Amino acid sequence: MSAIVAHELTQRFGADVALDAVDLALDQGEHLAVLGDNGAGKTTLLRILATAARPTSGRLEIFGLDAVRERKALRGRIGFVAHSPGLYPALSATENLEFFCALQDVNRKRVPEVLDLVGLGEVAHRPAARLSRGEQQRLAIGRAVLHGPRLLVLDEPDASLDSAGPDLLANVMRGKTVVLATHDHALANRLCQRTVMLRNGRSLGAGTRLRVVR
Amino acid sequence: MTRSLAIAYAVARKDLTAEWRTRELVPALGQFVVLALVIANFGFQIDSQNATVIAPGVLWLALVFAGLVAFGRAFAAEREQASLEAVLLTPAPAAAIFAGKAIAAALLLIACEAVLMPALALMFGTPFNLELVAAVLIATVGMAALGCLFAAVVARVRSREVLLPLLTLPLWIPFIVAGGQAVQVAMGASGSYNQAMALLIDFDILFVVLTSLAARFVLDD
Repeated sequence: MSAIVAHELTQRFGADVALDAVDLALDQGEHLAVLGDNGAGKTTLLRILATAARPTSGRLEIFGLDAVRERKALRGRIGFVAHSPGLYPALSATENLEFFCALQDVNRKRVPEVLDLVGLGEVAHRPAARLSRGEQQRLAIGRAVLHGPRLLVLDEPDASLDSAGPDLLANVMRGKTVVLATHDHALANRLCQRTVMLRNGRSLGAGTRLRVVR
Repeated sequence: MTRSLAIAYAVARKDLTAEWRTRELVPALGQFVVLALVIANFGFQIDSQNATVIAPGVLWLALVFAGLVAFGRAFAAEREQASLEAVLLTPAPAAAIFAGKAIAAALLLIACEAVLMPALALMFGTPFNLELVAAVLIATVGMAALGCLFAAVVARVRSREVLLPLLTLPLWIPFIVAGGQAVQVAMGASGSYNQAMALLIDFDILFVVLTSLAARFVLDD
């Protein structure tokens, strides 16, 4: 069954075309890497897939629902890691996640489990402002998986992560449909079965990792 | 309904916890209102005859500008931290998120009012009574609802510091008029306190309902 079906997704900002008629189809449980240079349109595509932005035109279905009209219904099923961690600096790692438990209607007992999953068990009570950039990124990843989403949309999640980062990502991605943007072809090759390359907002073609990456 | 209340409580608690730990806003607002009173005290020739006439105006001026700062920060901080998007991408109802933000901002302004009202009584020699406190608190509810709504609207634009007063102040005028009348009566002037308070409560209900409905459109896109 298809998790994502996108048809001619286009995003314009004034005269600029950030995304130009991109087609995409992803089955449930598949991992797709979105590759491309800076300004290629990766973040724009991921923000639309995460329902954080509406496309100017085109059609997008996620788990059979219209991602524009029924985006509220989809939001509990999607986890999004954006460019910026977007944490509350005065709150501890635990408090940051507990706050999102309330918003996501998730039991707070899940928080220690998620903190262990992302390797932050030992700094659980440290304010987010005092976490390193890599730890903040781990916390943002933890927040994205807190509610057990079926689709994970990860915008350069490896940014600032240490050498254990790929293992962490492999762990959190297991069993989920994933769209991951990265500049790291080796990471894409390791974590994803499929890739799509963007340039100037256009898709240069999708394929298996062997065909596109190598 | 219970879920919306739980979300509003969580949002308000988060904002108040962050303020308690950073102490970014309330101490600055407290100093601002005291300074405003000191300047007004020097600027006007205050005596026992005119104090009850001038003091309500000074109180509302200080309150309005303190409110603009308090409500402006409610969403600006979220935008700066890039945390608002994460909140809005949850299934939580926008109205509940908005209510939580407005409650927290209102409580921060009330903390500032707790400094303002006794300081006013001390410097101007005006009465400090339950009627005065009730009028200011009731006005704060509706002002917080409107202030937070426009703070959410302008949070995504660069010139938000200019736009927020331009949008908010005209709609705060009913609160200043009715609240001003209630405060004047509470300080000993003639007039109907109950009528002014009834008007304030009507405005509160009207604007709380309207802003709750509008919050969905403001916050969702």
